[in-house]
Amino acid sequence: MNIANRQTYRRTTNFSGTKIYCLASAAISVTIVCTILVTLLVQSGPVLFTENAGLIGTKWNPSDGQFGILPMLFGSIFVMLIAVTIAFPLGLMAAVYIAETRSSKLRRALKSVLEILAGIPSIVYGLIGVAYLNIWIADLFDLQSGRIILTAGILLGIMILPTFLTLTEDAISAVPVKFRENAKSLGLYRHEVFFSIILPKAKSGIAGAGLLALGRALGETMAVMLVIGSLDRLPSPLFNPLSSGQTITSKLGREVTESAFGSPHFSALVFMGLLLVLITILLTIVSRLMFKQEDRHV
Amino acid sequence: MFDEFNIRHAQERGFALLLRASLFTCGAILFFLLGSIVVKGIGALSLEFLFMPAKDFGRSGGIFYQIFGSLMMVTAAAAIVLPLALGTALFQISYNSRPEVKYLLEQSLYALNAIPSITYGIFGLIVFVNVLNTGISWFVGSIILAIMILPTATLSTYQAMSAIPKIYHENAAALGLNKSQIIRRVTLPQSFHGLVTGLLIGLARAIGETAPIMFIATAFSGVTVPQSLVEPVSTLPTHILELAQQSTDPQALQNAWGASLVLVILVAGFSGLALFFRSRLISAGHK
Repeated sequence: MNIANRQTYRRTTNFSGTKIYCLASAAISVTIVCTILVTLLVQSGPVLFTENAGLIGTKWNPSDGQFGILPMLFGSIFVMLIAVTIAFPLGLMAAVYIAETRSSKLRRALKSVLEILAGIPSIVYGLIGVAYLNIWIADLFDLQSGRIILTAGILLGIMILPTFLTLTEDAISAVPVKFRENAKSLGLYRHEVFFSIILPKAKSGIAGAGLLALGRALGETMAVMLVIGSLDRLPSPLFNPLSSGQTITSKLGREVTESAFGSPHFSALVFMGLLLVLITILLTIVSRLMFKQEDRHV
Repeated sequence: MFDEFNIRHAQERGFALLLRASLFTCGAILFFLLGSIVVKGIGALSLEFLFMPAKDFGRSGGIFYQIFGSLMMVTAAAAIVLPLALGTALFQISYNSRPEVKYLLEQSLYALNAIPSITYGIFGLIVFVNVLNTGISWFVGSIILAIMILPTATLSTYQAMSAIPKIYHENAAALGLNKSQIIRRVTLPQSFHGLVTGLLIGLARAIGETAPIMFIATAFSGVTVPQSLVEPVSTLPTHILELAQQSTDPQALQNAWGASLVLVILVAGFSGLALFFRSRLISAGHK
């Protein structure tokens, strides 16, 4: 075969090296996700098939074979709710200010500061929680220790604030200027323009931003682990933010290395991890649907 | 009539005040965060701190091997993720014509992005440390970090590739280039910035992560340069974690602030480089 022939052959062949390489990469990418989910599922097996493990219970005591995950699940949700109560109103209002003042200089400056803040590693937030926040909270409420659910909630609220703020600002800015101009020319005040024109238009984008922030709040480990106090009991009374608690992530961070691989204890921890993964993936899917709706609206 | 006007006017003033107060609160929080990291961190920084090994369980000495370990792990992670992200993005652009496959791939990447970082750590602990029996290994940590930044790197490359004007491909095809040649001559050079940007954003995220690597890749004290793939290293985030747990000791806390400042500077450095490449990408696209 001479060179010209070989060239023709290579040009017409269907399975070039590049194609095989690309196919393999794509296959590996999909396989990784499946492997993670299957591994977590398989490793949750032992505790799911253990009798009287009390999985849907409130008692966590590995030496008695009691693995009630409710305190951790409740802790995760409670901390998330506190974080959201702080971050959402504050972030939304600040985003409105940035988007509606329409000063592009201020906007660009704030956006870059927010990007830096969103990039601060969570362990650094944890350090701030340990060094300042938990001491301030202990002084404020006159407590022995500031390592309580409230501290974790506030810290988490501060952590998700930059992400929520920039995404919300994007959603509000995406509403075309002509809507604002028309509304203003009708003599509406700024708050009326916002509540009756902008908010209805941007609401699915804002909701998407909120869900994404929720997912981040649920999955956050380091900062929460350092300030929550690690107590595996439901707070009493139930909605008492001043008691110590435990979230799924802080539990995993503290106990995974203490449990033996393959034991019901380890498997109960993996099961909680699996639950967490499923919840966060669900939140992401819904938030992506919201963002898509936003694209159609505008 | 007049009364209604007054109420609306008052509402307007209240709304404006509320907005200002929110922005001010956010600003104050952000200022406090950055300020405390910088002020406390600079107090701990010195040449010895940067270039000496840690002594006395991190209470004295420096963080040289922690910086080294962090950089080594993320560099290896970037090297692992690069071919995978490039191949996956190329597949989406050049070879995949079926929408359901595209959808599956996109959803997998978004799912990967959504998974909490601690579960990556548990996954690594199960698969590598226990099933494959590697023990605590920095290279395993790099693999896990590579999986974590795969979505970011792939999506950024993909975006850059789909931004290439269609006419480039058509011209190349008209000149008689086949698919792999078009990829090599047109797609890759024109989307290179996207790959670099995605990798750098991924690295900025990976270098600050603690949860995925703390079970599988790191040791706290007595670690220097690893001699093989299956040895632990010490990294900045895990070092800060250990020091933060001894927070009653002012000396340990001081070093934790110093390590935090170095970490934040590294993260900002990677993000800054990413911004630089992204702006070059955008200006190149306008030509």
